Amino acid sequence: MHLKQDKKPSLIWFQGVTCNGNTHSFLNLENLENFLNKFEILSHPSLPSTQDFNTITKCILTCDIFIFEGAYDPLMKRNDTLISKIVKHYAQSANYIIALGSCASFGGVFKASAPERNSGLLFNEQEKTGPLFTEKAKVINISGCPIHPEWLAYILNMIEKGREIEIDDLHRPIELYSTLAHHGCTRNEYFEWKIDSDGFGKKEGCLYYKQGCRAPMTHASCNKILWNEVSSKTRVGTPCFGCTEPDFPRQNLFSTKTNMSIPEDVPLGVPKRSYLTMAGIAKTFHINRLEGKLIDYKTTD
Amino acid sequence: MITKQLIDQIEGEASIFFDMKDDVVNFATIAFPHFRGIESILRGKNALDALVITPRVCGICGHAHLMATVRALEDAYKNAGYPIELSRKVEIIREFTLVMEIVQNHFKWIYLTIIPEITKLTDSTRESTPLKGAYAASIASKAIAVFAGQWPHSSYMIPGGITTDPTNIDLLKVESYIDELIGFFEKESIGISLDKFLSFESCKDFNTMHSDISYLESSLVDMKMNEKGFAYDRFLVIGDHSFTKPSKLKQTRAFSVDAKYVNTVDAYSPAQNSYAKNAQYKNNFYETGPLSRAIATNFPIVKNMHRRFKDSAYSRVMARVFELAILLKHSKELLKSVDISQKSCNKSIDISKVTGIGFGIVEAPRGPLLHTINIKNGLIEKYKIVTPTQFNIGSSTKDNPTPAQNAMKGVKQKEALFIFRTFDVCSVCTTH
Repeated sequence: MHLKQDKKPSLIWFQGVTCNGNTHSFLNLENLENFLNKFEILSHPSLPSTQDFNTITKCILTCDIFIFEGAYDPLMKRNDTLISKIVKHYAQSANYIIALGSCASFGGVFKASAPERNSGLLFNEQEKTGPLFTEKAKVINISGCPIHPEWLAYILNMIEKGREIEIDDLHRPIELYSTLAHHGCTRNEYFEWKIDSDGFGKKEGCLYYKQGCRAPMTHASCNKILWNEVSSKTRVGTPCFGCTEPDFPRQNLFSTKTNMSIPEDVPLGVPKRSYLTMAGIAKTFHINRLEGKLIDYKTTD
Repeated sequence: MITKQLIDQIEGEASIFFDMKDDVVNFATIAFPHFRGIESILRGKNALDALVITPRVCGICGHAHLMATVRALEDAYKNAGYPIELSRKVEIIREFTLVMEIVQNHFKWIYLTIIPEITKLTDSTRESTPLKGAYAASIASKAIAVFAGQWPHSSYMIPGGITTDPTNIDLLKVESYIDELIGFFEKESIGISLDKFLSFESCKDFNTMHSDISYLESSLVDMKMNEKGFAYDRFLVIGDHSFTKPSKLKQTRAFSVDAKYVNTVDAYSPAQNSYAKNAQYKNNFYETGPLSRAIATNFPIVKNMHRRFKDSAYSRVMARVFELAILLKHSKELLKSVDISQKSCNKSIDISKVTGIGFGIVEAPRGPLLHTINIKNGLIEKYKIVTPTQFNIGSSTKDNPTPAQNAMKGVKQKEALFIFRTFDVCSVCTTH
């Protein structure tokens, strides 16, 4: 899967059942112009393209990189052509297929538009039963609702430079998805000492215990590569909804399911017993600094 | 003979079916072929989950959907006997991030849609700079993200307030983004100071400018867009905000408005299946969006344009440009009045105790956005969304055309396609 280096890789960005969230997120990329100059954009939902949409849906061109945004609905038509035909054509000719966003990766929010037939390109939620099974070696999932522009830029840069991209079982690039959304969260100390945030609108407290935060169970780099270069959901007190995982969107997103006041899902890879032991010990201590407002704490206390 | 024209790069696609007579449009119908069923996706879910799902209606105005949802939920709490109080700080910050979303939308529309279309239509050799729009929009998105964590698809507004508790560090950062945006607009878009631009009273004032916006303005005149693209000269503003005034306007005569008179009917699209609906007010079509909002507030230059050129494509485009300028200045004023010591979020009772109906109305970039939620024991029984593009575009019969259909009548097909885009069409919102 290496591209010839003598010409710019050509790229088609095509949409299925979508909200355009990934398109607009991508437009936030810093130095967008320099980045785009490395590629030949044959088609894009909002950027200048070398081909018109009528030509794209005729399935007479080929491209090096095929980006698909949105859920896959076998009955959907674009410009009166079934997307099943369009996707098959470009998937066969492309060297790389990028399923962009959680809808294209797993079905996401718009799987529910037609649950019996909608899916991602390669996966239907966790199951590898999507329409591009025969092209599976080429498929890279960049999950997230939406994707962070740098995640896509990283993958396209890797492709352009001819470097190998390692992926996990769900076909997500491991450099982006081996970390958890929890890594780098500014509330980590509250997590360590098991102090919940007691409601919303506070800088203090962890959102994992009551407010539904999925960051300790979610593969993402939201607190490492900050959103819009400035922040993240958990930094502004919004729980992580686990939008990069195949089960997004879950139900009851603003509350944590608990058994005997212990979260039902414990941090990824941590045995429940270990977690309970640690939590039990941490909770026996009272740390003054972490119980009030940070700004009120005096170092002489 | 009826000819079909595919329209893409409008947040999705649409088809326009033209019936031509003597080289001009006799009648046109519009079809939006894609449907996602957000309203049925929401059914049965925890009502708070709507705060995460409805922003996914639209990648470019999802924040307006978030605000409509939070207003609908708070109204439902109130109607169920649990009124919610918001601090002034919460009201201002919500308003600020909504305004910033409109700002990013208008920058993108000017640079990625309308200037390239003009260049194409006039065979101009002027170099198009679409990425200026993306750059400015990304700065506005940063300003949103300081409060909202990210843009697009934030869920930082919740019943009782906002999830964030900003500091002066955050406020100063946001102020610097606004200054950067204003500086960019002055240098790259208008070539004069923002205050001078906002003080324009006559279209003659554009003759003093040499910039992207004066190119846009003079091209519109060259294309005679001040004599084309008229809708109904009736305007509707429903959302209650610091930057406009809810009103129903016939020409410039203002009347009071009540969202209960908004109704929707199925679109008329004989040539192709369409999932669009037509939104009306008391069974009549009204234009919504920046032109309506500027006329509702009597903004001098837009009122002057309207006096001379009515609701032409020219007025519609230039009103959007001026709204961008107005909102850049307004956003600075909004920030000044934030008192960070006020509460970010008041606790509300458990949603499972709430049964009732709630209405949430906001002005989105393209006009009024209305959400209605029916909640039973905290679960969504029914959710209904009416979007601005349903008011402006829709598709109706020849004897009762929608504003966009009316505006495309009697002009050449190429011009009709341009006029269509002057409404800033959002396909995904239309069919949600």
